[in-house]
Amino acid sequence: MSELLSPEILMSIMTAAMGVATIILLAALGELVTERAGIWNMGVEGTMLSGCLIAYLVMASTGSPILAALVAMGAGLAVGLLIGFMTVTLRVDHFVTGLGFNLLASGLTLFWFRSYVGRGKPPSYSTIDKAPIPVLSDIPVIGPILFDQHLLTYIAFFSVPVIAFFLRRTTFGLETRAAGENPQFLEAKGLSVATRQYSALLFGSALTALGGAFLMLTFADQFRPDISGGRGWLAIVAVIAGNWRPVRTMIAVMVFAILDSVAVHAQGVGVDVPYQFFLMLPYVASILLLVMIRSRSGQPAKLGVPYLRH
Amino acid sequence: MIELVPRSSTGWRAQLAAYALALVLGFTTSALLIAASGASIIEGFGALYEGAFGSQEAILQSLVAATPLIFTGLATVIAFRAEIWSIGQEGQVFAGAMCGYWATLYLGDAPGLVSIPVIILAAMIGGALMGGFCGWLKTRFQVNEIISTVMLNYVIVYLLSYLLAGGPWTEEGSTSYHQTPVFTDNFHLPLLVDDVKLHIGFALALVAAAICWVILKKTPLGFEIRALGFNPTALRFKGVNVTRTVLIIMCISGALSALAGVSEIFGVNHRLRGDVMTGIGFTGIIVGMIGGLNPIGAVIAALLFGALANGSLYMSVLSDIPPSLVPAMQGILLLFFLTASVLVRYSIKFKGPAHV
Repeated sequence: MSELLSPEILMSIMTAAMGVATIILLAALGELVTERAGIWNMGVEGTMLSGCLIAYLVMASTGSPILAALVAMGAGLAVGLLIGFMTVTLRVDHFVTGLGFNLLASGLTLFWFRSYVGRGKPPSYSTIDKAPIPVLSDIPVIGPILFDQHLLTYIAFFSVPVIAFFLRRTTFGLETRAAGENPQFLEAKGLSVATRQYSALLFGSALTALGGAFLMLTFADQFRPDISGGRGWLAIVAVIAGNWRPVRTMIAVMVFAILDSVAVHAQGVGVDVPYQFFLMLPYVASILLLVMIRSRSGQPAKLGVPYLRH
Repeated sequence: MIELVPRSSTGWRAQLAAYALALVLGFTTSALLIAASGASIIEGFGALYEGAFGSQEAILQSLVAATPLIFTGLATVIAFRAEIWSIGQEGQVFAGAMCGYWATLYLGDAPGLVSIPVIILAAMIGGALMGGFCGWLKTRFQVNEIISTVMLNYVIVYLLSYLLAGGPWTEEGSTSYHQTPVFTDNFHLPLLVDDVKLHIGFALALVAAAICWVILKKTPLGFEIRALGFNPTALRFKGVNVTRTVLIIMCISGALSALAGVSEIFGVNHRLRGDVMTGIGFTGIIVGMIGGLNPIGAVIAALLFGALANGSLYMSVLSDIPPSLVPAMQGILLLFFLTASVLVRYSIKFKGPAHV
């Protein structure tokens, strides 16, 4: 156990945790905005998985990570549109829609991947490079952890205050929140609830898919079934445990990311506890987190309640 | 703009038409998938049909494949009827198989007449405990059951992986196969039809479906399950202990899923391994939902999906279409059925731009 506590390993764990956090944070921020608009989107895992597959297909055939990320986000938009059509337009139960979509995504990605590969070997590529920030990355300890990361990691963490500002200080942000708190009020003002909910879903799903693309481009050199491994679900837990607040959500994300990273390192270091128990850590922690943090004061009043116009 | 207007009542003809349309659209979309992957639609569906229904043996194999899906489908029906969105079926299938296997370690060479009921009972207790645990988290700590069940699904897969590779159940001399040795005969579920693997699990599944139907339709518990989904507050005012009802529902649902694990491991594979159980729980969710959250509907849907799964093996041998076409088809069918269920409940009016 003590092997894990050596300074080098701890540094390595924290540095890797920032990368894992990027995946979950992008999805969590997307889900946060979606839920603040009143849509309890349970399809995060499937959306992330779709982002993974699309990013893989584009990366494997063009070799361009930027194109891969953009197309994955485009796929995310399509997913958002589908989930929006089901929940906002058709008013199917939000949970049922999300669960249904996850099952669809799991089956479709598997089929698409297998038909793409055929009877051959799946193509692989090298993962993308980091983008260290000059000077800052030379600071001891925090430099490598915070400033020697991928471009998307900086963007993801910078998005936390941006989204907090959007939700608190901008008109559209406030209107988005109104859709989740008091949709009748929004309609009474002559503003469309559906527009705001669709926008939130499109934004959230694109961000989630981007998280999937990041996973695909930095942590794996080829796709495999269910590669997202529950990180979409962890994003949902982070939003709940973070009481629907951006900064607290980010903290919850860091808890999962560090545990995820510990699990990976424990396998490498050769700790005597079986590695499977380390792999369980983020999932067990997510349940414990929800048991311990039971304040739901930030939950939008009409979260998950389909809005029927009168 | 699309506006939905709730219907006052829906005739069974309209319902049937909506679901038939969903089925047709689902198969059409799947055909497009086959075409998109570059294979021949007729060849693909032909092989699928041949593999599922082409001979008496194929039909019996389809029933074998349907058996665990009936159990997980019923598990879904019981929970979802109460609007408890448990998706722990996948993990509970594992838990059931694992507890059943655990029991065999103490059964030695006990005759099948003793060992099989013990295995089944042990499995059901394991599944019920796992479901009940999530029910407890929900009622005691307000932990959303979707989250807790999903997370436990991951945990139990790793637990089995540990037990079979490195842990106490590791097969002597091999760590790479992640499976136990083949069971002795006294732990095999007896066969209904010789030479084909149609085991008593299938009969048990039909009995379970009948029991679920009776529970839902004819018992106070069934009333509570339906009322819980409809209006939990009213149920509380009626003096029903809702916490207790939720726990009972989750235990029943878990025990049913566990039976799927028993039938797959003790009826078909005769050795404990994880990969053969993967997806049974999730497919069960689709089965339950497409079956209209009705036990009889779930049996019908399970028979359809069992046939598809069985046929897909044959199809993948004859053509270049991967067997993963079936999970994709299931997802597509589910989405169309969800849409159809809206058509049944609302009539759709197309309007000009919204004027508020």
